[in-house]
Amino acid sequence: MKYLPLVWSGIWRKPGRTALVLLQVAVAFALFGVLQGMKTGVDNAVAKARADVLFIGPAVFGGAPLPHSSLDRLRTIPGVKTVSFADGLLGTYQKPNQFVFALAIDPGDEWMTLVPELVTFPPHSLEALRKTRTGVLITTDLGKKYGWHVGDRIPMNSALKQKDGSGTWTFDVVGYLTDRELGQDNLMVMNYSYLDEARLLNKGTVRNLYAIVDDPRHAAEVSAAIDRVFANSSNETQTASFRELSQQQMRQIGDLNFAIRSIVGAVLVALLFSTATMMMQTIRERTAEFAVLKTLGFTDRGVFLTIVAEALCVCTAGALVGLALAWGIFPYAAKFVAGLSMPLIVIAIGVAGAVCIAVLSAVVPAFRAARIPVADALAGR
Amino acid sequence: MHPTKQFTALLRMSLAGIPARLGLICTIIVGVTCAVGVLVAMLAMGVGARREAMGNVRADRATLLSADAANPQQSSIAKDTASLIRELPGIRRNAHGDPIVIFQATVFVQARNKTDGGLTGFPVTGATAGLADYRPELHLTSGRLFNPGLRELIASNKCTRQFTDFEVGQKRHMRGGDWLIVGNFDLGRTEGVCTVFGDSETILSAFGRPTYNVANLMLQSPAAFTELSNAIKADPTLKLQARREAQMAEQNNAQLNGILNFVSYFVGSIMAIAATIGAANSLYAIVDGRRRELATLRAIGFDGVPIVASVLSESIVLALPGAVVGALLAWAAFNGLQASPLGASFRLAVTPSLALLGLGWALVIGLIGGLLPALRAARIPVTAALRAT
Repeated sequence: MKYLPLVWSGIWRKPGRTALVLLQVAVAFALFGVLQGMKTGVDNAVAKARADVLFIGPAVFGGAPLPHSSLDRLRTIPGVKTVSFADGLLGTYQKPNQFVFALAIDPGDEWMTLVPELVTFPPHSLEALRKTRTGVLITTDLGKKYGWHVGDRIPMNSALKQKDGSGTWTFDVVGYLTDRELGQDNLMVMNYSYLDEARLLNKGTVRNLYAIVDDPRHAAEVSAAIDRVFANSSNETQTASFRELSQQQMRQIGDLNFAIRSIVGAVLVALLFSTATMMMQTIRERTAEFAVLKTLGFTDRGVFLTIVAEALCVCTAGALVGLALAWGIFPYAAKFVAGLSMPLIVIAIGVAGAVCIAVLSAVVPAFRAARIPVADALAGR
Repeated sequence: MHPTKQFTALLRMSLAGIPARLGLICTIIVGVTCAVGVLVAMLAMGVGARREAMGNVRADRATLLSADAANPQQSSIAKDTASLIRELPGIRRNAHGDPIVIFQATVFVQARNKTDGGLTGFPVTGATAGLADYRPELHLTSGRLFNPGLRELIASNKCTRQFTDFEVGQKRHMRGGDWLIVGNFDLGRTEGVCTVFGDSETILSAFGRPTYNVANLMLQSPAAFTELSNAIKADPTLKLQARREAQMAEQNNAQLNGILNFVSYFVGSIMAIAATIGAANSLYAIVDGRRRELATLRAIGFDGVPIVASVLSESIVLALPGAVVGALLAWAAFNGLQASPLGASFRLAVTPSLALLGLGWALVIGLIGGLLPALRAARIPVTAALRAT
């Protein structure tokens, strides 16, 4: 404990220099935090993806969508517990580049059990949606973006035509939904019945089917069974569990890990170089002071530890500030990468990295300072 | 002494001192090298993606979409407007005197990856007669073109490398029937994504589709585009819009390029900030180490301005080699590397203009990093610095 004031005064001997080193460490670790957060965000998304929810889409996109009656066939397949479906409407609000996706569902109980961890509806919102055919539930982000409130009537343009040939769809905002990971500020939920009755083409069809299997371990077999049932019909299907789909997505962005590792590597090398030079410089300037300490009775080990402690304090403080910064900008970065998160492991790795950098950059100068021959140093030789 | 003479003398002194301050100087160079290297390597993705997207674009090709469609998938062109479209002005004619227009419909089917067995979507495009006239860059490497009315497909060589069952003679099962691969081809300067063509009418009927997506046509000259689009605007019953091929390619590529460039500049800026701070700190240390020297110079009549200029120049002179090394490293390690982020596929391209951009960033890093240390150098209190031991 008696060393603390000494370490403290050592750190602030040149406040400008220390401030700059702190800042540099903070910036480097902020970048580390953001990149690592992206990686763990993607990994977590895969780990969290439900293995028991199957996604059933047409095997051919751009071909005819699946008929609504497929639901009944699906229910008869062994291993399938619950089934549900979704369709959608891509529209624009006011400007042609302000896209809003309306997920069209049957607001019954089956959809609610599908992915409660992704989308949740308060019961009264759901009740309101059931009562109003043209009703929509919006996310709070979407409401903020365009200034929509419950009770508002919203006209939306879409390439999907209504029976009268018009592409304008009108919705009534009746409530809110909580969306944890999906579209954030461009998602709303509408009644499938409104969509299907009003549209000109593809009546009685749905875009996707969902099935929950009774045992996630049988997901692969049930998927294959579903595709077999629909094979050679005019509506072949492609079935995969959510887990499998997110693994496919992972493979698509497979280069991500390599890129992140390279960047983090470059950042840490540059940082290590910088801190090491600064430590060297500091020790060189303070040779006489260390000689005085040793004259006063400080051991070699004491001097060594004092210097390493200084580096440790500066680096870990900088790293913590940087990681906090990264955490602070996550809500903004989430627009680009869904599910960004910083679990404790990232903070732990970050702090461990900071400790490594501190020790690596301090150990040589500290060793040199500890071995200073007192008489020579005081004489200025 | 004249200020410029003072400046050259000062610069020579600081450069002569480099060997004595190797550690501090390396910090500046390594910092800039890492920042510029990462920036250039990441921007090379955006350049590569754009090059891939624009590689086969010709100024004398255009695409017609339905008037309200934002992209080809949303577009639909009824079969009965096909004859009207063929009569539009500005369209080039082939050796037989027929207008070079092909109507296309695209569906997405899934194929199995050769490497990991995973499923990835690929487009199957049904095209009406005249594909060879419209796409002269389509070069068959084996087999022949598909025949109208038959379940035959031709696949680009990218497909055969990436997925299973795309070689000539192999069969693919789609929509309750077997489709025979009869040809493999290369597409001009880029290989792009896996591309598969078949006969339009066969594909439309097999996939239950009533309409084409788009009409692709060859113009008499790039300037004939105006004539064509005026004719389309003059006839509102057509409900069409005309776009140049370049515009379509740009639009296709815009989202990917936007993401890649945003990430590149985001990461690059943060690294540049770190490099700037590191450079500033090193230059402060260098200036502090030269206090007596600089104070002596002030005492014998050197001005503040040349001192500021010399420290700034030193900072830039040290930053520039870092940029050169960074750009070279990026080129050596990443140029031509196959990347496939976000489902796209292209080769990274480190171009001279990217290297120049890197030099520009280094210049800015050097200037900003050197500014405060330079001002301190010019403001060293002469008497105090000379008296200090």
